[in-house]
Amino acid sequence: MDFRPLNDTERKTLIGALRGNADQNQTLLMDRRDTSFIGTTDEVTDEEVINAIKSVPCHY
Amino acid sequence: MGLYRVAHSEGASAISVKQWVRSLGRTVEKFVAGCQPPKDRSDSATPSRPSTTATEYRPLERVELTDEVSRTLFEEYAEHRQSKRGREEIGWVLMGIRRETDALVLATLPAGQQRSASDVHVQFNSSAQALAARIVRQWNKQLTLVGVVHTHPGTLRHPSDGDLEGDRLWVPQLRGHEGIFTIGTADAKSHEPPGVMWQPKSSVQCMGELRLSWYSLREGDRKYQPLPVELTVGPDYARPLRMVWSAIEHHAERLERLVRQQISVKFEPVMDETGPVLEVTIALAEPKSALRVQLNGEEVRYLLIRDGQALVADLNEPQVDRGVYLLLAELAKSA
Repeated sequence: MDFRPLNDTERKTLIGALRGNADQNQTLLMDRRDTSFIGTTDEVTDEEVINAIKSVPCHY
Repeated sequence: MGLYRVAHSEGASAISVKQWVRSLGRTVEKFVAGCQPPKDRSDSATPSRPSTTATEYRPLERVELTDEVSRTLFEEYAEHRQSKRGREEIGWVLMGIRRETDALVLATLPAGQQRSASDVHVQFNSSAQALAARIVRQWNKQLTLVGVVHTHPGTLRHPSDGDLEGDRLWVPQLRGHEGIFTIGTADAKSHEPPGVMWQPKSSVQCMGELRLSWYSLREGDRKYQPLPVELTVGPDYARPLRMVWSAIEHHAERLERLVRQQISVKFEPVMDETGPVLEVTIALAEPKSALRVQLNGEEVRYLLIRDGQALVADLNEPQVDRGVYLLLAELAKSA
């Protein structure tokens, strides 16, 4: 195992993923060999899509 | 048919699993972030923005359309121009997959008959489009909103100042904080052979007299950028919904309520002996059992499915959510 502090990018990605998991049930992906965090899925929530559709502005 | 008021127990302060996970997430975030400046947290916590994902979005360099999406846009634009409302503006919402530097468009949602439109504006029926988005996302959860197509009756091949004003406020909600905007005009020169699409520029498609000019707009931009467009072979996931679009428009708001209240609601456009029907299926607790609602325009038919056998319910309720709950109450009474 390679225990070391996260670099800036890893830290930012992990925070975003935890936030996405807590707020929008986004999946966290884990490396099955060493249980390390390897990212999230790109699934989009229904709420995100519905909110964007319902706020499409009038076009001229 | 009896209805009962449900009593809620209040005063209990048990924490839900979701609250617990959210709280844990905040704790871990504080631990990991250490002395992170507060600006980062407030920026990414803005609720209208999409959450951070594995993909690092950079500015769009191109848009890729499936052949069926491209055909849908040109065919429906041509049909619209021949219709009674042909002098009005028309449009579509584009759904697809936002990738690092491009987007793949996989579905087109029409403006709908209940749109508000004139020769100088178009406002889509967003309730119907929202329901349609839920239906196509049953088949692919990666689908998101990537842009909007609308037409101009004259020869203005560029979004107007009014478009820019609204789109600039809207794009921060999209993946990559960037959207695709397409203007349709009917000012192309004829080109041989007829019925074959051609591209005078990388960001422009023409078929017959119809022209689609593609642009992108990113958060903070003061003007749209021409966006190269390419084709690939593939479906328009929303094409099968066209045959049941009147049912979608008529029942959209009540179906939306039902979907928000019930987890296991599935939609499927089908052809039966009466014609095209939107089937709405709600799973019941018993195995191989479901409530099914068939929507044909304004008409509503309720069925109970048990072991593959369909029993037609004797219920004449035009409001679909109300009908479903009346049947569920009846089933609960007899359980």
